[in-house]
Amino acid sequence: MHYSDLAKRIVDELLRPDGSDKLRPVHTIGIGATGYFEPSEVAPQYCKADHFITPRTKATLRFSNGSGSKTQHDDWSDVRGMATRFHLSDGTDTDLIMMTLPEFFARTPEEFLEFTLAAKPTEVHWVSPWKKIWQMLHLIPPQPDPYPDEEISPNEGAIKFANENRYSQLAVFQAAAIGAPVSYLRAAYHAVHTFVVTGEDEVERWVRFTWQPIDGVKNENPLDPPGADYLQGRLRDRLADHTSRFTLMMQIGEVGDAFDDSTKPWPPHRQRVMMGTLTLDHAAEDTKAQDDYFEKLSFNPMLLTPGIRASEDPVLHIRKEAYAYSSGKRDATPCPFSGGAEDDQ
Amino acid sequence: MTNKDTWFNRYVNSLPTRGWFKLLSRYVVVPYWIWRDPKPKLPGGPRESPQPSENTQRMMNLIMPLKDPSPMGRAMAAMAIAQNVDEIFSGLDNVGTVHTARFLILGDNLCMISVYDGDFSNYIRDFIETIGSVFDAVISQIKGAEHMIPTCDHVEEFIEWVHDHDLFQAPDFPTDLFALQDAAKGLPTDGPAHEIMTLPRDLILQLHANPNLSLGGGYRSYPGYSAAQVRDKFGVGW
Amino acid sequence: MNKQVKKDVDIDAIERDVQGNILRSYSRHLVRHLMLEVTNVAAARRFLGVAANGGSEAVPAITPGSDWGKAKPPSNFNIGLTFEGLKALGVSRRTLQTFPVEFSQGMTKRAMKIGDFGDSAPDKWPAPFDTPEKVHIVASIHADEEGQLDKVEAQVAKAFTVLGVRDGRGLGRGKVFFGYKDSISQPRFKWVKDRTQATADEPLDPLGTILLGYPTSMEDMSFRVPYPDALGLNGSFNAFRILAQASYDYEIYLDEAADFLLKHKDVDLLLPPGAEKKVGKGLDRHAALREIVAAQMCGRWRNGTPYETSPDTMDPDPDVSPTNFDYSAQSRCPAGAHMRRANPRGGHIVQRIATYTRRLVRRGMSYGPDFDPDDFDRKNPDRRERGLLGNFLCANLGAQFEAVMCDWLNVGLQTPSITGTNDPLLGANTAETSRFDLTLPDNAGTISIYGFPRFVTARGGAYTFLPSLTAIRYLSEL
Repeated sequence: MHYSDLAKRIVDELLRPDGSDKLRPVHTIGIGATGYFEPSEVAPQYCKADHFITPRTKATLRFSNGSGSKTQHDDWSDVRGMATRFHLSDGTDTDLIMMTLPEFFARTPEEFLEFTLAAKPTEVHWVSPWKKIWQMLHLIPPQPDPYPDEEISPNEGAIKFANENRYSQLAVFQAAAIGAPVSYLRAAYHAVHTFVVTGEDEVERWVRFTWQPIDGVKNENPLDPPGADYLQGRLRDRLADHTSRFTLMMQIGEVGDAFDDSTKPWPPHRQRVMMGTLTLDHAAEDTKAQDDYFEKLSFNPMLLTPGIRASEDPVLHIRKEAYAYSSGKRDATPCPFSGGAEDDQ
Repeated sequence: MTNKDTWFNRYVNSLPTRGWFKLLSRYVVVPYWIWRDPKPKLPGGPRESPQPSENTQRMMNLIMPLKDPSPMGRAMAAMAIAQNVDEIFSGLDNVGTVHTARFLILGDNLCMISVYDGDFSNYIRDFIETIGSVFDAVISQIKGAEHMIPTCDHVEEFIEWVHDHDLFQAPDFPTDLFALQDAAKGLPTDGPAHEIMTLPRDLILQLHANPNLSLGGGYRSYPGYSAAQVRDKFGVGW
Repeated sequence: MNKQVKKDVDIDAIERDVQGNILRSYSRHLVRHLMLEVTNVAAARRFLGVAANGGSEAVPAITPGSDWGKAKPPSNFNIGLTFEGLKALGVSRRTLQTFPVEFSQGMTKRAMKIGDFGDSAPDKWPAPFDTPEKVHIVASIHADEEGQLDKVEAQVAKAFTVLGVRDGRGLGRGKVFFGYKDSISQPRFKWVKDRTQATADEPLDPLGTILLGYPTSMEDMSFRVPYPDALGLNGSFNAFRILAQASYDYEIYLDEAADFLLKHKDVDLLLPPGAEKKVGKGLDRHAALREIVAAQMCGRWRNGTPYETSPDTMDPDPDVSPTNFDYSAQSRCPAGAHMRRANPRGGHIVQRIATYTRRLVRRGMSYGPDFDPDDFDRKNPDRRERGLLGNFLCANLGAQFEAVMCDWLNVGLQTPSITGTNDPLLGANTAETSRFDLTLPDNAGTISIYGFPRFVTARGGAYTFLPSLTAIRYLSEL
């Protein structure tokens, strides 16, 4: 596959000094899980893709922390990821990649590169108490103090960028306050981009997907952090004795909605279709073999299957190349697009 | 700039929870900013938008101050509703676009809370047409509304009055507040970006201009469907 | 502001007082709309004073509504004022406050409500509509010869600054772009004689539907008459709209829809084999399906025959009335058809209370280069701008024009089966979300078609007040 300079540049620039080029440049720390997806009774009306018409589809997942640092900081405020691979009945796969942030930072790959450059992690500073008082007198909440061993952070650059670019404000503002979930199984995840689904009647709809945890969304109390390493343990503990389920919700876009701009989430009043339930029953064990298997997986948001296609969202399209390039770079199990396939499906 | 935690830093971090600082904020800092950067009162009700789902199941939170908030006055307001139940129910059936509607006496206000489909002005106009006499009875109990009786001769004025007493609906996405405030000031909504961390202040100041508001458009179990569609689907006629 | 309950009215006096383009259509070949700015108030007032008093050598007379009999003037001249225009002429603040809010805000501020977003948004409108605060008056000249338009324009330009000019014309045989015969059904007003509606059987509309100061079709309800009566009484409001029509794209969509239908499993229900010959002369199956889609989308076949009473053919024998029919639960005319959305007639609608209350008078002429739907080059798209210079007249823009636009043409609240869809011809559609349901005979259900773009785009316009001749004199004497 040919990688554009822009895709390569974005991936290269995302790499943090405290990251590793053997690992993913973002969403670096993660853990695998497996389970199965069961479509709802109405799902086929909206999408004829294999996993929406097959009673049960096996799934492989990876949960992750958004940061590109190779050091685990589960209790830090951060976006989390949930990548799902559905193993379809014909032996092929399709991916659905989501994160806890409901929108993206940039409308185009070019803007995303600008954002990446602007939000390069810089040395963290303690805001002086005098400046904090000044801010409080201006009714501006001071930035929280850095975490005890935090050395670099993208926050300062991201906020500066958002102060100049309206389109990135919602994502930056919400990311700044996103916190840490009590478990990877207790967060809602959003696919952010628009996809086009085709129903059994061949009608196309422009839609967006969300995973909603049936156990409920719950965050840690930031004043009483549970320590840097708890998410993987809690996932294993929970799935050792129980299953955990997510509902797949699909919003249907309407006239005037942003179909190819992932910085603009759709309001919660769009028609919502319950598309199915994902049941997780197994977490990756804490062994090198399991770790190697799951961490070498290469997901790709453009790994689609007939019945679901990408919208024109340019960020979604460059993710295809960026993920494949990144996969090759870190020597992972080749991404389906790394082998030269140019086909979107 | 210091790069380590200090006693002073911890003390400053605790300021927002300290009594003296709360008093300072409440009586000096906030009033100063209200004077320095006043926000226009933002209009009530749902905002115009083209999506069908934004035009169904819209919220009305009409807060009307009672002329006489004593128990006697409250009883008069309660009677104005109770004596007109037939009028209200058959009127709502014939307006055809209302999912739910109810009246509350809350604080010193009579409130009408409803969920309706379609344009706000059409809803109120159709309502006046079918039960204007009830509105007359109701607003005779309301402060500053007598001049609009009978409502059927003051349609335009009454619609504006209701719009003004309908609660502002805060945006579903927080940063949209910037654009709403810009629009209210007649500024372009795609002008230079605001400093993102001034959003909390803008919210505080907006809550001074609109002390009561609806937090977002609210949750809907089956968004995007009209009352008539629901009735049609259940086979109870529309 | 008092309610005018008039059991008997002197209709001749009213017709002499109202402007001539309100109660009846002029049926001229040409129109020229001049967008004017009042830059010299004294000159503007002098002009209006003379114009309202019969005109002079140098100033055209405002055409009143009275029947001109055999003395047909060479041209007709009428004016509408925007809220900014009333201000510019010196109308007092107190008086301005008695105008309705939608008029004082103006069309551009009401854009979202009437579907003017995206490519139709006012910030995309060309001059002079990019500076709505300067558009004070829309003056309209109707004539049959271009020389008359030039003559009147030159006279007007001596008193006002002409910001922009839009010329329109009749396309012949009553047709408009998209190839439909238009302006067949109009409200009929009590007391007003209108030959074009002489045989129509819809209920008479009270004068308050179109003029300020008279009872409306809503029992008990009256609209506020701007103060003083000299200014407000016998006035009317107009939504002046420049609406570009994508004729080429419309015909291409009809091709696509026919292709889609030919492959549809229920196509024989929509058009039984062989029935294409009945649809219209010389049509093959594909062409007949195109015309069925066009007819169901509009509610009339393109030659004007109502789909409701003639669902199988555009040339019924015996002929059917162009105006007399109604809708029911069994109607063949789709609930989503343009004509039925704009005027649901006596058919059942969700807002029962609103039946017959949102009537509009439509007066329009076409602009832009010819386009022949029967003979155009599919390989060389002709997307030059063409469309309609439309006037939508009513006594209350909020209760009539906007009410129709926001709840009926778009959104489709009046019938549950179409709620969530927009008017196929005029609506604010996008290909990603559009849907239209074609009806099948014998209540056999519907076939949905999808993927059509927005065919009509707003390219300018203004809300104007059409003052009576008395009011124009009042304005000239401020």
